[in-house]
Amino acid sequence: MKGRWARFRRWFQGIPVASWLLGGLAAATVERLVGLVVAYTLGLSGIPSFFGLSLILANPAQIPAVLVYLLVMYALPVYLVARATAAWTARLVTRMSTRTYVFVHVVLLFLVVYFWGELDSYRLLVLRLLAISIILTTSLNLVNGWMGEFSVAVAGFMSVGAYVSSIVMVWGFVDDDVFGPAVFPPTLASLAFPFALGLGGMAAAITALAVAIPSFRTRGDYLAIITLAYVFIVKSAVENMEFIGGPRGFMNQPNVAGFPVVFIWTALALWVIYNYTSSTLGKATSAVRDNESAAEAMTVDTRKVKVVAFLTHAFWSGVAGGLYAHVIGYINPSSFGIVKSAEVLAMLYLGGLSSITGSVLGAVLFQMLSEILRPLQLAKWLVIPVVLIVVMIFRPRGLLGFREMRFPFLQPRPTEEVGYAPASD
Amino acid sequence: MPLLQIEGLTHYFGGLRAVHRFHTRIEPGEIRGLIGPNGAGKTTIFNLTTGVYRPSEGRIVFEGRDITGKRPHEISRLGIARTFQNLRLWVNLTALDNIKIAFYAQIRYGLAGAFFGLRGRRHEEERIEAEARRLMRLLDIEQYADVVVSALPYGIQRKVEIARALATRPKLLLLDEPTAGMSPAEMMDTMEVIRKLHDELNLTIWLIEHRMKFVMSLCQHIQVLDFGEIIAEGPPDAIRNHPRVIKAYLGEMVEA
Amino acid sequence: MSIQQIFNGLQWGSFYALIALGYSMVYSILMLFNFAHGDVFMVGAYIGLFVATAVLGIAASGLLPLPPAVTFVLVLVLTMFLTSFVGMAVERVAYRPLRDAPRASAAITGLMVGIFLETGNLALLGASRRTFPPLIETVTYTLGPITVTNIKILTIVLALLLMLALNLFIQKTKTGMAMRAMSVDYAAVPLMGVPMDRVIVLTFALGSALAGAAGVLFSMTYPVLEPYMGLLIGWKAFVAAILGGRGSILGAVLGGFILGFIEILVAALFVSTLRDLIAYSIVLLILTFRPYGLFGEEYSARLRI
Repeated sequence: MKGRWARFRRWFQGIPVASWLLGGLAAATVERLVGLVVAYTLGLSGIPSFFGLSLILANPAQIPAVLVYLLVMYALPVYLVARATAAWTARLVTRMSTRTYVFVHVVLLFLVVYFWGELDSYRLLVLRLLAISIILTTSLNLVNGWMGEFSVAVAGFMSVGAYVSSIVMVWGFVDDDVFGPAVFPPTLASLAFPFALGLGGMAAAITALAVAIPSFRTRGDYLAIITLAYVFIVKSAVENMEFIGGPRGFMNQPNVAGFPVVFIWTALALWVIYNYTSSTLGKATSAVRDNESAAEAMTVDTRKVKVVAFLTHAFWSGVAGGLYAHVIGYINPSSFGIVKSAEVLAMLYLGGLSSITGSVLGAVLFQMLSEILRPLQLAKWLVIPVVLIVVMIFRPRGLLGFREMRFPFLQPRPTEEVGYAPASD
Repeated sequence: MPLLQIEGLTHYFGGLRAVHRFHTRIEPGEIRGLIGPNGAGKTTIFNLTTGVYRPSEGRIVFEGRDITGKRPHEISRLGIARTFQNLRLWVNLTALDNIKIAFYAQIRYGLAGAFFGLRGRRHEEERIEAEARRLMRLLDIEQYADVVVSALPYGIQRKVEIARALATRPKLLLLDEPTAGMSPAEMMDTMEVIRKLHDELNLTIWLIEHRMKFVMSLCQHIQVLDFGEIIAEGPPDAIRNHPRVIKAYLGEMVEA
Repeated sequence: MSIQQIFNGLQWGSFYALIALGYSMVYSILMLFNFAHGDVFMVGAYIGLFVATAVLGIAASGLLPLPPAVTFVLVLVLTMFLTSFVGMAVERVAYRPLRDAPRASAAITGLMVGIFLETGNLALLGASRRTFPPLIETVTYTLGPITVTNIKILTIVLALLLMLALNLFIQKTKTGMAMRAMSVDYAAVPLMGVPMDRVIVLTFALGSALAGAAGVLFSMTYPVLEPYMGLLIGWKAFVAAILGGRGSILGAVLGGFILGFIEILVAALFVSTLRDLIAYSIVLLILTFRPYGLFGEEYSARLRI
């Protein structure tokens, strides 16, 4: 068994991530050119949206066709191109500075995912929602993982961010019944969107301050309750604001959250949170978690550390909420109930605490599971809880709790940034 | 000017008096001992000095500055570091990270640097790492730098905790039973380490200890506490033969 | 505040208190938030529905003609008994395997069990809402401006009786004492000669039985049942338990009643749509000044993470 695994690994040994990404690019191109023809030839009704995962459950007779499709369309081009370019990219990659290395890989990853996703609007929608989940999970990890508290406020922060950024965008760039004609030329909407998102994030952070001030005087489960009350309060407050639609919801958001925009924000969020958690200043957050009194005794201003982590979480959840509002184009108070928080918590604990790759993995797996099980309809929500319970029982700290995923054999040299490589194949 | 001066320190827990009119005057360069039976209030005095509790009465002056009632992280920034009786390491982190985090107050980049990795940050991180490793070398534990501390042997964990305290650049180091749970050999080793810190870093040390032999050979001046009050103080020889000390300790310290 | 509203507050307080007790008991011995508990209440209501339908069916068939009072008591007792097994099952599946795991992980499995119960209900019974059959004929007493139904009074009285019974159990029986001991020191229980698992299982059973009772009483006033009915009321009862003081039995009861009163009062004084906004702001305020709840004690030394 071990020998087989080693041989399997040798297949992949020495192929840098960059080559795999090039392979992915090749596969996406092939699919774009002949995907539909191949799919029809195999008797599929069209290009499978997500690797035919849902097709398999819907109609098991399609399994062979789907497998052939995956092999021809993805596995072969990816592997062949990766193998062929391996020597070349390896040489190139070793010469890059860490910064260039990361940049090149992120750009490649973007190209692969975008090129692949753009073929199908449903794919693109799911990818954007996935990216938003990644922001949410990673930022929540800052509080529940690194800081070791239990916050359920994520839905509330999303709500604040979503509404604030929506108000700004609709007021500024859309002719709307409530907010009147556009104040600025709608062509500038895309330019203003980052500011609207930033405002949404900051609004969320400001409301978070109201929670943080009383919460961080005591330890323990206090934050769980305070944040729960916070979610109720935000929901109820929004329901009572008639000018933004109250319980009926709020729509008309301009279409400014395309995949590239969402991707950039996700990359930014991961980069910022990675920076923070890998800095000594940020690691003090874990010190507060492991032993607060020792942290205090070692010059750490624990109150400040906690507030920073919590507000960062709030800010990014607010940004994610703003993205969500503009991806869907409609929000209502119930989109951000306690169930939404529970979903993000599930992703977080599935992936693992105090781990960026864990958060990404948790979000990806959860969303994938959700896609695979879509044909089951209602029963999906019977299977997902069971899967999560089983994972928690066998891995109580999540799949990647307290450690980062690394792929040493995929790299010609050790680097810090390989986190989201798996999304590409 | 004394490094640390405490006057009339009294503390109540609920209605219970834990410390009563404790006073001390520690001169720079001294190794001072604080001994007494279990529950005598020794650790409470450390906790009061480092700001964990606010004293009910009394004044604590460090380098001529009144630090009574300041928060622990403020006091530690002024130059008082400590270790704990039962280790309080950050168990999910590596030994190196444990030490690096104690540089917190000396980090020369702000939140912007931490979030966006601005220019000065990498340089600063390298400096901190180099200093942390220097401290680890000093205590002979550098080979454990990348091990998560919960996986380290007990004696090494004690040393990591001392290195962590040193990272805050203390002028005064409080050691709360540094040899608790150690074998005689480890104890001798710890004694060497403390001497070395005292001599090489010119550090003033105030320690709580249970083992007479250890205290007697390290400290120039010892205070004995019982029921929160000082019952004796003076050089080791005077303490050894002091009738009230013998009475308070009868049995308990003879075996240690 | 009129007497009318006092009755309303007492009634909602009874629901919250009965459910909050389940949270509090589990918390006091395991330091764990049982996030599935709101759904146990929901399942309890449905069990009540089936038991009631069956009992009424038997009574109507003439095989066993029962007076309404007996029917009601029978339904209540049977429902409590059956619902206790739901709680025990939740403990067995979601919590026991994770007893040494980080508590947050157990909280997640609890959440998942909750979702499973909701969806399971939906899958089994379909989306159509069920109506709880009337067990007792509703009588409305009018005294000047006050109108009170007999069901409201019954709810309040029964809730108080159940709480008294629980208190008696905890104070007087050996298992009850073991529960109290465990809430003080987790490790002490095996020393008392009571198996720890039994204490834990019994705690879940008792808490769930109370939730089942709440389910029946709730359904008698609000007879339309749906699978997500436990969600909001469960979370709110959870807040009530915290408001009273984590792990305190008296705290849970009083916290439940206080929350009930706050909600009714706010709805009476302001627009009813502002109820949650103001009620939870008040909760937030109370917890700001009393972080350990109204009747809780500082316990941080006991936290087992």
